[in-house]
Amino acid sequence: MGETLFLKRKVSEDYSHYDFPILKKVIKMRREDVIAEIKASGLKGRGGAGFPTGLKWELALKEPGDEKYIICNADEGEPGTFKDRFLLENTPLQVMEGIIIAGYAIGANKGYIYIRGEYAKAINIFQDAINHAKEEKLIGDSILDSDFSFDLQLVKGGGAYVCGDETSLINSIEGNRGISRITPPYPIQNGLYGKPSVVNNVETLTAAAEILAQGGKTYANLGTDKSKGTKLVCLSGDVKEPGVYEVEFGAMTLREIIDEFGKGTTGELKFVIPGGVSTAILTDDQLDIPYTYEDIANVGSGLGSGAVVVVSEGHDLLELLQNVSRFFMDETCGTCFPCREGNRRVYHLLKEAVNKGGFTSDDMKLIKDIGKTIYLAARCGLGQTSMCFIGSVLEKYTDELLARR
Amino acid sequence: MINVTIDGQKLQVPEGTTILNAAKMAHIKIPTLCYSEELSIYGGCRICVVEVENERLLQPSCAVAVKEGMVVKTHTPKVREVRKTIFELMIASHDLGCKLNCLTCSRGDNCDLQRLAQELGIREIRLNALDKNMSNDYSSYSIVREPNKCISCHRCVRRCEEIQGIGIFTKANRGPAAVITTFKNKGMGNLECVNCGQCIHACPTGALHEVYHYENVWDALHDPTKHVVVQTAPAVRVALAEAFGEKPGRIFTEQMVAALKRLGFDKVFDTDFSADLTIMEEGTELLGRIQNGGTLPMLTSCSPGWIKFIEHFYPEFLDNISSCKSPQQMLGALVKSYYAEKNNIPKEDIVVVSIMPCTAKKYEARRPEMTGDVDYALTTRELAMMIKEVGIDVLNLEGEDYDKLMGSSSGAAVIFGATGGVMEAALRTVYEILTGEELPGIDFTPVRGIEGIKEAEVKVGDLTLKAAVAHGLSNVRRLMNMIRDGKEYHFIEMMACPGGCIGGGGQPIPTDMEVVKKRMEAIYESDLAHGYRKSHENPEVQQLYDEYLGKPGSHKAHKLLHTHYTPRGL
Amino acid sequence: MNDGRMMEKLHNIQTTYGYIPENEIEKLADEYAMSKTKVYGVISFYSMFHTEPTGKYLIRICNSLSCHLNRSDDVVTGVQEYLGVESGETTEDKKYTLEIVECLGHCGEGPVMMVNDKIYTHVSKAAALKILKECM
Repeated sequence: MGETLFLKRKVSEDYSHYDFPILKKVIKMRREDVIAEIKASGLKGRGGAGFPTGLKWELALKEPGDEKYIICNADEGEPGTFKDRFLLENTPLQVMEGIIIAGYAIGANKGYIYIRGEYAKAINIFQDAINHAKEEKLIGDSILDSDFSFDLQLVKGGGAYVCGDETSLINSIEGNRGISRITPPYPIQNGLYGKPSVVNNVETLTAAAEILAQGGKTYANLGTDKSKGTKLVCLSGDVKEPGVYEVEFGAMTLREIIDEFGKGTTGELKFVIPGGVSTAILTDDQLDIPYTYEDIANVGSGLGSGAVVVVSEGHDLLELLQNVSRFFMDETCGTCFPCREGNRRVYHLLKEAVNKGGFTSDDMKLIKDIGKTIYLAARCGLGQTSMCFIGSVLEKYTDELLARR
Repeated sequence: MINVTIDGQKLQVPEGTTILNAAKMAHIKIPTLCYSEELSIYGGCRICVVEVENERLLQPSCAVAVKEGMVVKTHTPKVREVRKTIFELMIASHDLGCKLNCLTCSRGDNCDLQRLAQELGIREIRLNALDKNMSNDYSSYSIVREPNKCISCHRCVRRCEEIQGIGIFTKANRGPAAVITTFKNKGMGNLECVNCGQCIHACPTGALHEVYHYENVWDALHDPTKHVVVQTAPAVRVALAEAFGEKPGRIFTEQMVAALKRLGFDKVFDTDFSADLTIMEEGTELLGRIQNGGTLPMLTSCSPGWIKFIEHFYPEFLDNISSCKSPQQMLGALVKSYYAEKNNIPKEDIVVVSIMPCTAKKYEARRPEMTGDVDYALTTRELAMMIKEVGIDVLNLEGEDYDKLMGSSSGAAVIFGATGGVMEAALRTVYEILTGEELPGIDFTPVRGIEGIKEAEVKVGDLTLKAAVAHGLSNVRRLMNMIRDGKEYHFIEMMACPGGCIGGGGQPIPTDMEVVKKRMEAIYESDLAHGYRKSHENPEVQQLYDEYLGKPGSHKAHKLLHTHYTPRGL
Repeated sequence: MNDGRMMEKLHNIQTTYGYIPENEIEKLADEYAMSKTKVYGVISFYSMFHTEPTGKYLIRICNSLSCHLNRSDDVVTGVQEYLGVESGETTEDKKYTLEIVECLGHCGEGPVMMVNDKIYTHVSKAAALKILKECM
């Protein structure tokens, strides 16, 4: 089974003469009809949270006020995730088209794309694309002879994973520390500069554009009842052919993705992280499930951002735990106590365990208690999911970890 | 109104009420730490989390508003466990451990963390302390910061920014390196910190406290060659008793004087005396400026936090500040001249100690242009420590009077301690000097109370005197901007701390608006109890002018009682 | 005036000077009506901004999970030994600043390393040292 090309349909095309055919069509539609099309497609946010995109747009459109913002979240930073970079580098104009369409749909005349600062190549490509679009008057006043005006600004991130959280990202655009905001109010009501704002992931907006090209129904016919359409999967770790692959939901199992796209593992498979380091691991016996939101949730994990990281035997489990723990410790914004102190403490406990050659059951209990506390009490999604990987490894490899002493 | 159920109790609360406040209405106190009624919601510590029916995660009660039909449970097993784990994590980041720092901590007897530990029923800490290995900040004359004790609750950051409008602190970095610090960690003494000490009141731990000078005072008291004179500010007398467990609002003047005598001070004078003197000098200066076309509005100069504030933020207005030294400095200067000469004591042998509600007074005493007037400025808290160390049962002590020469005062002087007090005292005297009549309604209420900016107009003969009062530096900033934008006044009283000196950074902990209001009531009660209500009626002030200074604004008065200011910028 | 350009300005200053000097922080504070302390708080939040000078070449090596699985540790230790500095430090000759960083978004091509804006993929220890030596 090969890739289902929907998002990647036009990847190899030459974009130099691309003139926003989808936007041309959309800008003649009523805003409500645009949103209805997205709703019909069943598209969900592809950044990790999975909120229905059409509903988000609809809520934003209904918010009172003339000043609204569409923000494209390109602050991709979860280890194992590189699909947004792929889209930015390969289909920048379609990403942009998605942004403008979303802006049109919700009634926003200003858009931002927040690209992580380390993506130097993507930033250059996208800035060129913006300049090109401005020259072609595809961005600016009364675009395509409509009464819709739209400006788009690129913001370079400063190197902080937490800015992938939508409220943190908004703070960052405003020139603040990229810490999460207390929700509610959600950005839809009170976002950038206190105005109604929609934050959508790169993949989401790209899909939205293509949905409007091919129709919501076409998209909805792909995938399963609860997971419609396709998803970009970032395959990395111990696989022979890592990369970005487009998968129709439900059409393949996790194992098939690894075996057919990844051409198998480089060693004996130990476990798979199905949605980036913010999700729980799945062991070998759990991989024969269709790749859908619901099937992965059923086995206690999530498909998160679409990062499938394959881990084979031969790695030191404690080192892997420490590696992921360090990531969250380094990347917590430092605002809420459970996440800041909790992740720091877990890292130290793991480091001590490495130093003393293994775990005690007391250590394990402590880490689990801290994990539970972070999950229940942290302020934003980063914290709440920070212990998913570690918790699941501890749970599934308890004996192996305890036996090291 | 919103219907909500908290721990099984049904109640109706106004829309927008937080779960925390709704619980309070149901007589349930949810434990808090980073929350402060006077500051913006931070939502960082998560100690106040509760369970809300149908919510997957716990909710921070300080930050979440109740919704119709919400069912809240404040102490389920999940909540209790999570709170305890958060507490363990927090306390392990607080430099506890082998250093026994509770014993030597400035907040050993009123620590929020200890209180919280009791409220949460903490009986074990399973985590070792993490050594953050940061160095203490001793750069300031007034305030010490011990960052290893900091738990990053952001209360100092918010208080400095929101109440004082300065923002000397920030959270810097991210992740494990996230710390509360100053600009590039330069130290409070090297920046635009005004030394007001409001951050100390904000801090739940001992991470912030005044620079202690009481050891130096002990040394002086035990040095037989030194003649040690102490003075006490108006606001100290209505707050000191709190440090001994009394409720706010007790007037404690005479017992305080008695305790000071027992501590071994050779003379106990009253800063109220020099407050009256300030009115004489400042009133004269004001009249001179009005009559001779001098720079107006004239701004008061008693609050050293405010003085440093204007030097940093509005240096172009330095000519507007009264040239009068503050009462602390005036009294110090007179002890080392008037008193020294009268009693034939070499001024080198005299040590002047002041007891102040203020941390900025420590800095003021060290200002080069006034060096030597006051040797040590102690806070109200430091005096309490000294009294405790000696074991004086101050609450039951027979009261005593201030020493003669500079111990008498008017009711106008004692109200210096509250916002609006200097203005009211000045009006009482200026009005009478200009018109020969008593200020109608001597209790001048328009400038009283805790409103941030207060304005009043008083008809004085042909002149309509326009006055304004601001307290808390963010209000001061607003008023300064109004002046900059052209608003006209004759006379303005500025106080750095909310509520005036009674809310000073050196006052007993806790100091919040509720406490300040009680102290304010006591101040005005004390005013009424005074035999004299007006500064110019103070007989010892009259004697000082007769015997020593001549008249207000004289050359000698200028030499001893006036000063100048330094533009500092940012 | 909040124009959403604070990050852009910080990047430009960082690129121009190799760090964000104090007088530039003061200018930004004026422009955005923030205290300079607050601006400092913002700057220090982001890994890509520095308030002290960095070396001519900023070397970033990813050590997040996918790269780790592909033995990025070898590259990290190799480069640390070669340069004689730890993460966050600058060599004495001010030529190199080394940063061991989290995910750089090339997880399918690890280990990865960045020299200033240029990305190198599938980096071995030997390749990393060669890249460093070629920095002139």
